[in-house]
Parts: sequence; C-alpha cells; structure tokens
Amino acid sequence: MKPLIELQNITKEYRGVPAIKDVSLSIYPGETLSLLGENGAGKSTLTKMMAGAVVPTAGNLLIDGEPMRFETPNEALRHGFAMVFQETSLVPSLTVAQNLYLGREPFFNRLRGLYISAQQFLQTLNFNVEPTKLVSQLGAAERQMVEIARALQHKARLIVFDEPTATLTPEEKHHFFGLVERLKKQGVAIVFISHALEEALAISDRITVLRDGEHVLTAPAAELTQDDVIKAMVGRDLSQELYSGIGAHRKPRPAGKKVLSIQNLSMGSMVKNTAFSLYEGQVTGMFGLVGSGRTEAAKVVAGVLKRDFLHGGEVFLDGEPVRYRTPRPAVRDGIMYVTEDRKLEGFFETLSISENIFAGKLASREAVPKVITYSEVAVVAEHWRKALNVRAISGDARVIELSGGNQQKVVIAKTLVQKPRVIIFDEPTRGVDVGAIAEIHQLINQLADDGLVVWVISSNLPEILSLSDRILVTRQGRVVEEFQPDTATEEKIMYAAVH
Amino acid sequence: MSNNTVLSRFSKMQWLSLTQEKIVFLLAVVLFVTFSLTLNGFASVDNLLGLLYNVSVLGVLGLAMALVVIGRGIDLSLIATMAISVAWSLTLIRGGLSVEMALLYGMLLAVGIGVLNGWLIAYAEIPALFCTLAMGTLVYGFGRIALIPADVIYMPADPGWFGALGQGEVFGIPAPVIVFVLFALAATLVLRYTRFGRYTYYMGDNYHAARITGVPTRPMLVTQYGVVALIGFVAGLVTAASVDSMNTRIVNSTMIYDVILVVVLGGIGLSGGKGGVRNVVVGTMLIGILLNGMTIMNIEYTVQNFIKGAILLAALIFDSLINPRDEQTAQQGDI
Repeated sequence: MKPLIELQNITKEYRGVPAIKDVSLSIYPGETLSLLGENGAGKSTLTKMMAGAVVPTAGNLLIDGEPMRFETPNEALRHGFAMVFQETSLVPSLTVAQNLYLGREPFFNRLRGLYISAQQFLQTLNFNVEPTKLVSQLGAAERQMVEIARALQHKARLIVFDEPTATLTPEEKHHFFGLVERLKKQGVAIVFISHALEEALAISDRITVLRDGEHVLTAPAAELTQDDVIKAMVGRDLSQELYSGIGAHRKPRPAGKKVLSIQNLSMGSMVKNTAFSLYEGQVTGMFGLVGSGRTEAAKVVAGVLKRDFLHGGEVFLDGEPVRYRTPRPAVRDGIMYVTEDRKLEGFFETLSISENIFAGKLASREAVPKVITYSEVAVVAEHWRKALNVRAISGDARVIELSGGNQQKVVIAKTLVQKPRVIIFDEPTRGVDVGAIAEIHQLINQLADDGLVVWVISSNLPEILSLSDRILVTRQGRVVEEFQPDTATEEKIMYAAVH
Repeated sequence: MSNNTVLSRFSKMQWLSLTQEKIVFLLAVVLFVTFSLTLNGFASVDNLLGLLYNVSVLGVLGLAMALVVIGRGIDLSLIATMAISVAWSLTLIRGGLSVEMALLYGMLLAVGIGVLNGWLIAYAEIPALFCTLAMGTLVYGFGRIALIPADVIYMPADPGWFGALGQGEVFGIPAPVIVFVLFALAATLVLRYTRFGRYTYYMGDNYHAARITGVPTRPMLVTQYGVVALIGFVAGLVTAASVDSMNTRIVNSTMIYDVILVVVLGGIGLSGGKGGVRNVVVGTMLIGILLNGMTIMNIEYTVQNFIKGAILLAALIFDSLINPRDEQTAQQGDI
C-alpha cells in the first residue's frame, strides 16, 4: 500500500536548537499510529509539521508520493490534513454550525441554511450536538465532536489528535474510540499523541516513540508491551553521560525541619486534594507529566495562583497556616517561585542584566535605601553575576540577548538576591544548554546543602533522579507516590506517573 | 546555538530604538532651522518663549501620560479629570470659598477619580483603555450635571497667587514653562531613582514577572493613576490661570490625542517599560515647533489636524516596527 504521508529525514530547529532531528516516518491510509514520548520529545512539533503549522528546517514531506511543502495550516487543510488540538481551536463565542463552516462560508451567508446543513452533516456522523448551541456552552466531549466534525467536513484524510482523551469521562472515551474505528474504515489515517500508554497500545495499529527529538522505534502495537515502550521513552544515552555518577552513588541528604506542609490543596480542575510536606536541607523532586498539576500546586504555594475558595485545603509554614493571595507576601515570608516560562513571567526583557537582578532586591523584604544609587545596582548585580557565572559582555547587556542558560541564571539570581527560605524551581533546565545545566544542578545542590528548602519540578527523569533526596510523583492533580532516590528507577517513576 | 544571528538582530533593534528618539530630535532641529530661515518672526525671543509657553501644559500632561504608558497602561480620562476638577475649584472660589480650600477640594476630586481608575484596573481587572475611556465620559457628564453651572467657568476677579501660575514670570520666563521644567526634573528623579519609578518600569516590561518578583502590582496601579490625575489637576490650574478660564469643552477636543501623540512620538513604546522624561521633552518640542510654524504660516486648523494625525500614525507604525512581535522568539522553549 502506498503511504499517505511520508516524512523523509525531517529536521526542525528553533534558534539553532534542534527540536526534531532527522526523523523519517510513513503513515498509511486507514491506520492508527500513536506517537509517544516524554514532554519535549518533539511529538507536537512533528505533528504540527504535518498540519502545516510549523515549517521544517530540512527534509522532505511526501504526500501520495509527491513532494509537498505546507506553508500554512490552511494549505494543509486543503490537502485533507487536519489537527485536533489538546486545547481546542474552536471559537467559543460562535455556534456549533458557525464553527463547522468557519472560513468557508459562502458570500451570502444565511444562518438558517447553515444550521440545516450542519444538522444534516452531524446526523450523518451520528453526533448528538445541537448546531445552534454556542461552543462555550458545550462540554469537553461535545467540543471534541465538533472539532472532529470540522476536520471531516474538510474531507480530512489524516487527523492528528493531541491528547484526545485527557478531558473525557470513561463513557465518552468509549464513544470516541468507536468513532475512531468508523473513521479508519473510511480510510482516514489517525495519529494519536498520548500519555496514556495502555490506551495507546489498545487502540493503535502501530506505535512510534520519540526521544529528545529523535526517532527511537516504530513497531506494530501487538508486538510491544508497556515496559518496552517505557524503556524506549526514557533510556537516553546523552543524558546518561551528563548525569552519570551524580545520582546513583550520592547519599541522600537527611530531612531537616519540616517547613512547609500542604494539606488537601485544591485548585480548579488542575490540583485535586493533594498533600505533601517539604523539609529543610534537602531537594524534593517532583515528577509528573504535563497537566498533572505540579506547576499549579507550586504556584498556589507561592501565591501566584489562588487556591479554591471553598475546600481549597491548607498550607502551613512552620506550623502556621498561611494563605497568599498575591506573590508579594510569599516573597516576604521567603517562599519564592522560579518560573518554568522565563520569557513570559521570569525576566524583564528590555532591561539590563543588572537591573533585572536588582529588581529582586528592590522587591525583597530587606530594607533598601529610599534613593537608588546605580553604583549599588552595579555592585549587587556584579556579585551575583560572578556567583552564578552569568556569561555576558557586561551587566548592561539586555537579558533577551543572552542564551537560554544565562537567562535562566539571571532569573535565579533575581530570586536568590531575595534570600529565600523555600525556593521552587519549575523546570530549572528547560531550554538551557548542556554546560549551564551542570552549573544549575550544582547550584541547586549547594542551596540544599546551605539548609534551604528546595523543591524541584521537572519532566526530565534523569534530572529528578540525580538531584532529588526525595521524589514525589504527581498524576491528575495529586501526589500519588513517593520514592527514595536509591531505590527509584526511571521505569518505576514513569510507571507511577502514567497509571 | 546560533547566538550570532540573534545578537546581531537585537543590536540592530537597539540601534533603531536609539534612532527613534534621535530622528524625532533631528526632525525638530531641521524644522526649527527651516522655520527660522523661512518664516518671519519665528526666531525672535518673544516667539520662542511663546512657543514654549504654548506647549508647556501639553508637556506636563505628556509627563503624566508617560507615567502610565511606561507601566503599560493609558489614561484617556486625563483631560476630563483635569477640566472638571479645575472648573469645580473655580466654581467654588466664585461661590465664596477660599482659594486654598477650593483647590484642595478640586485636588481631592481629581485624585479620587485617578484612584478609582487604578482600583478598577487593578482589582476589577478592566483593561485600562476601556476603563479610562468610560471614566472620562462619566466624569465629564457628572461634572456638568452636578458640579459646574456652565461649560466655561471664568477665573474670579482676584485669584491671588493662583493667577501667577499662568501669568507670572521669573527672570522673563513664563510660569507655565517653569512648571514644566520642574515637573520634568521631578519625573526624572522619581522614574530613575525611586522604588516607585523602578517598579513602574518592571510592571510595564513584564507584569507577570514583576508580580512574581514581589512587586505590589495592584497598589502600584492605584498609585500610578492617582499621581497621573494629580499632575493633570496641576496642568489644569496652569491652563486656567493662563487663559483666565476653564473651558470644559476641551474634553471633546483632540487634546487627549495630542497628549498621546507627544508621548508616542518621543519614543515611549505603548508596549511599556521603555523611555523616560527625555522622550516626552523631545516629543513636546517637535509638536511645539510644528504647531507654532504652521500657525505663523497661517495653515488652516483642519489641515493642522491632518498633519498631526499623519505624524501620530507614522510614529505608531514606527513603534510597532522596532518592537515587533517575533513569533520565533515567542516559541522559544515551546519545543
């Protein structure tokens, strides 16, 4: 059978950092392929290329054997390549029918006609959705139906589902899989991106595993077990070199005084009734997949987000209940959050390195003189720049001009200048070059040795294993398991995170 | 990592952002020289003092607006607040209240409106643009209904020291010019050397980062809008004292756009966190020279508006060209 789409040696780079390295893959009509991999393995980037949302840096895309280059999602859609995103791409303020025909309305657009044809179309699919309803009033499953209907309305030959079942109830899932079967019979190729391994193995024809942007394995699902897949997802050579000898042979630090105790914390649908404690003088690692509520829990503790008003649970600092509504009182109490998204909420991009670091001092609980002297700014910044080895021509360089690793160091310096007692690192080495990763890890260890409460959130298993004195695993908004680093393995942790 | 290309792109941007202020400054100089050579009476001391006198109120208002624009906000109710609070003060004086008390009441009204603006933006989380747009209309309507009896309120016969604010001179320099210079100096010091000033830049550059760092962002917003209204009130006093009245119809004129024009033209990006007092001064100078020259050339008012509009549009386009939304940069980390 001829493949519907063939990727030949596809590479994609962002600012010189490869997200996809030399991946080749074929997808056949009427088959279901699951794309598996850790966060950041390149699944989303790869599928976005099929849907035309991302243009590859190098390599060929063959469709029906013809080379093709999609510049826009619209172009891909015209060839029958549709993507159903994790976060739906529907317009909430329009009705179901309007969303179905979005972008291809006739010049004279009669709402009644639109509703009638939408109704007929939805009935042929056996979808029980009212076409006149606003999308904002639909539940998650109904939204997904509309997304799928829209893809089919465009005569899609390939549909990419990004985490389709994450928001569905078991019954809705059952429905969804029935629908997938019907689509397959019509010759539509289906690509799944999923973290739910069991599910992926059960419904796919073939499985492809990506790791660090590289293609690791493609095999029929029937020939694979869950353990095979987990091994393929985590076993990495590069990081083993990087992390070897740190985690395995080191003795875990003993727990000091209990500083933070989180009890029954809840926030919206992301954090559900979670409980754990943090101790002085050790690194507590937290592993969980995206959407498992790690970041949200940290943000609630640091006052960045508010917990639920009713039944939101409690946070105790040194045994005293605290409830921060903004980050400022948390910063005053010495609880600081180092963000996972430094560009969005980490640094000030138009300001200099010095000014960024000094911003932390200015907002800290320490007394700062009423009048700011720029010689003091330079002294403070220079001290931290040296301490963290921020490589830049001078303190006057703007942060946006630095590499990812140096930007991260500036954000950390801005936090350390505030003298934290509890410091939360959310993905401390995301988008950071290899050299800086080692330096940041060393710094995190140093902070724990100095007696701070260090809480590291990461999707990177080797990082968690090498840094942590305790490992917490979150799943679906809750801490579900705790490991000791000497007995934990990547497989065990991943198993706890996906089940 | 292809650091070199990134670096070169940003150093190019820096070079450009330097030139926006420079270009406006050079344009002002070129206009000044051209007008001096071609227009009779432009280069005389009297005319130049008059030029400064005419734009100093605009400059003071520009400084006020710059404060919120640097913090990534905007205050469209500035002119309404200024007109109504000052007109109310004048009404009270004419009603027999002492000048001091009347001005205190007016000032409290202005600051109250500003604080309400800030509160709505910070705590009710209404976008500054809409909040202040509505507030301007509300204040104007409320003032005309409840506070002032007519559109134009004249100065009382003997305003005392208050009159000197508009008509007085020190060493031959008109009082409004001195007020502008004093405010410019004060704003420079506050923006550069105080915690309030630095917090304003942090919030304008990256509101979320400022919040996480521990900047009290919401009290800051309330203070910023309060201060803006206060400066607006003083600018209104100077206006009233100069022309012997407060004409509340200026609320419906293009004055608020002139103020924004001065701020944006000088190179303070609407995206926040950039620029300072120098940019306002440069923008004010260009507008001052342009208006003065066009008046001497006897260009019609409507044509003047057209030219001002074209210049504002050009400045906005320039602003978005040198502060582009770069998709590639935005996606960094989203691998």
